[in-house]
Amino acid sequence: MTKWMRWSGLLGFLAVVGLIAALFIFLLPFLIKSGIEFAGTKLAGAKVTVDDADVTLSPLGVRLQGLQVADARAPMMNLLEFDEAIADLELAPLMIGKAISNELSVSNLRFHTERETSGALEVVTTEDEEEKSPSLKEKASEALPSVDEVLARETLGTPQAGEALKSAWSENSQRVDQAFDKVPDDNSIAEYEDRIRAITSGRLESLEDFRERKKKLDDLKEQFKQDREAVRDARDVVRSAKSEVSEKLAALRNAPSEDLAYLKDKYQLSGAGVSNITGLLFGDDAANWAREALYWYEKIKPYLESDSEEDAAEQEDEKAPRLAGRFVHFPSDDPWPDFMIRSARLTGPFDGGQLVISGRDITHQQTVTGRPAVFTASGDGLQKIGDLDGRLVLNHTLGNSKDTLTLAISDWKMAPLNLGVAGAKLASSRVKLDATAEVIRGELDADLDANVTQAKFTGDGQTLFARELNGALQGINTFNVDAGVTGRLKNPDVSFGSDLDRQINSAISQRIRAKQDEFEQRLKNRLNDTMSEYAGEYADELQLLAAMEGSLDDKLSALKDLASAELEDFKAQQEREAREKLDAEKAAAEEKARKEAEARKKELKDQAKDKLKNLF
Amino acid sequence: MLSLLARLFKALNSEAAPGQVAFGFALAMIPGFTPLFSLINLVVLLLACILRVNFSAFILGVVVFSAIGYLLDPVSAELGEYFLTLPSLTDTWTQLYQNDWMRISSFNNTVAMGGLVISVCLLVPVTLVSRILILQYRKRVLNWVNRLKIVQALKATKFWSIYSKFSEYS
Repeated sequence: MTKWMRWSGLLGFLAVVGLIAALFIFLLPFLIKSGIEFAGTKLAGAKVTVDDADVTLSPLGVRLQGLQVADARAPMMNLLEFDEAIADLELAPLMIGKAISNELSVSNLRFHTERETSGALEVVTTEDEEEKSPSLKEKASEALPSVDEVLARETLGTPQAGEALKSAWSENSQRVDQAFDKVPDDNSIAEYEDRIRAITSGRLESLEDFRERKKKLDDLKEQFKQDREAVRDARDVVRSAKSEVSEKLAALRNAPSEDLAYLKDKYQLSGAGVSNITGLLFGDDAANWAREALYWYEKIKPYLESDSEEDAAEQEDEKAPRLAGRFVHFPSDDPWPDFMIRSARLTGPFDGGQLVISGRDITHQQTVTGRPAVFTASGDGLQKIGDLDGRLVLNHTLGNSKDTLTLAISDWKMAPLNLGVAGAKLASSRVKLDATAEVIRGELDADLDANVTQAKFTGDGQTLFARELNGALQGINTFNVDAGVTGRLKNPDVSFGSDLDRQINSAISQRIRAKQDEFEQRLKNRLNDTMSEYAGEYADELQLLAAMEGSLDDKLSALKDLASAELEDFKAQQEREAREKLDAEKAAAEEKARKEAEARKKELKDQAKDKLKNLF
Repeated sequence: MLSLLARLFKALNSEAAPGQVAFGFALAMIPGFTPLFSLINLVVLLLACILRVNFSAFILGVVVFSAIGYLLDPVSAELGEYFLTLPSLTDTWTQLYQNDWMRISSFNNTVAMGGLVISVCLLVPVTLVSRILILQYRKRVLNWVNRLKIVQALKATKFWSIYSKFSEYS
């Protein structure tokens, strides 16, 4: 045996291994401190600092002092800090680079503390300068401008129709004037009548007299013909002008109602706006809270394993690097993931009380442990939120990818909450809140029920919407809010429901509607005023055109009558006179015969009376 | 301290028989083909120290077989995957897995298992082949090498004088 053994080599081996072990133990605190600062900074995106790290050999463990995690979004603030953390370490797993602690205790844990120096990393970041779409609040703040603002900013049809009418009138009035210059006036017509009368009255003395009068009458008729043409032309011009001006005037009269319909559609406080008032009030804040939660979830998520295809792919990737290989794990009561804290207890002052956060089986390799990581947070009698109970289960064991959060807050005395809409502020309130959230394979499903009591709203907004909203909010002191969040983590759909909607609706809707009607009436009046400014002047002108048309018709009729006058010829006059003489003689003879018959009849009657008297 | 190290090297390099050199060289396959920092390799280092093998050959072997192992890793990983997932061996591995020291050995790592299987299988053949090659080298090549100008120039350097000084102890 001694032939094969070289015992001096054992000394050398022990010396070298001992030297390496001593060096390792000597350097371990520095390695731990650097490792935590490096990995923590990478995770948090801001400086993570540790004041001191010690390694204890019996029992083997690590003690950290003064850890601060800066807030990447507010570098002069810490996300959290604690005074001391003590964790034991299992030796056997540590020998193959696996950090497993049975118990971690953190004392004096504090959140959102101030820093003395900036925790920002020296990385130049370019902010996205995407144009933000206006939020609900911004939309609400511009919901109902004044009538003057509306009329000033909008291109409306009423003034345009007025200008069109003005232009049409100007053009047509010139044509009418020109046409009327050729039309005989009333004096001319009267003169024509006199001349006709002179020609056609009186006895024709001779044939020569007849011919002379006939010529004058024909000349006059020729004149009448020309005048009638002029009157017809003028009448056509007037009719055309009247038609065009009437059309433009009708368009002008319709324009205010069309403008009003357009403005009502654009500037109304719709029913949807009122019914979504809860989203309006709490939407942006809820979105901020959700963003905060998702921000941290997204940070943690890459470190949570599951048996999904993605992880299988990652496992494939692990085969590639030199000397890495893949660890095939077998069932065991004592699994060794690369990192695990079997039990953690974090305590610290919080909101005037003591917050206790406990964790169990905290690891990024739940497929190895086969157990989900469970966190609970509790605080009793906290000043601002009463009792707090929270439970977070991150289950990424084999076949699972489900994270669950339940949160209950018994009496949250909400700080004054500037709602940011219409100057409204929730000055004080008490909230009982229950929330659950589940993320299953990247799909989020969350519900939140909040019962708000002793709510006091204030507001100093000056817009119509602000005044009406604040007026409605004054009468509300209790309401419930239900929020739901569903969909993919990066783009979830958020919905709000609340009896606040119904309460505000009943209080505000009538007032808003009245104001809306008033607003519409004022708009209507202003549009009608605008219309009248144009139409008032031209309506009279249109009547004048109508009168002109009537006058021209009369003139045309008069000229027609005048033109129909005829002169009796000389022969006809002689025959007529002879016939008239014969008729006169005949009438005189008939009168004489009638009188003689009546005298004879009276004589016979008297004779008969006398005979009767003699009989009696 | 230097004299202590010199004595250590003397002891480690004193075994210059062809078989001792060949086995030292072949033993280096295990750390060469498996992840270097592991309990198995610590045991191999212990063996290299306490067995009468040539330590220089072992160190040289670690360098040579690490380079080969770099190329061999994919094969080692496949082989380790095969054995570690072989249903008939699952109970055995599961039992071994319950032991902390076995787990420290990283036997459940595919590259470690594959590399270990390959190196153990090749240990005897490589030892025998190496021994033959060393004998042939000493018989046919050593004199020719010593006559090379580059070797003579190397022997004139300070490095060679230090090496020779250590060699005198052996």
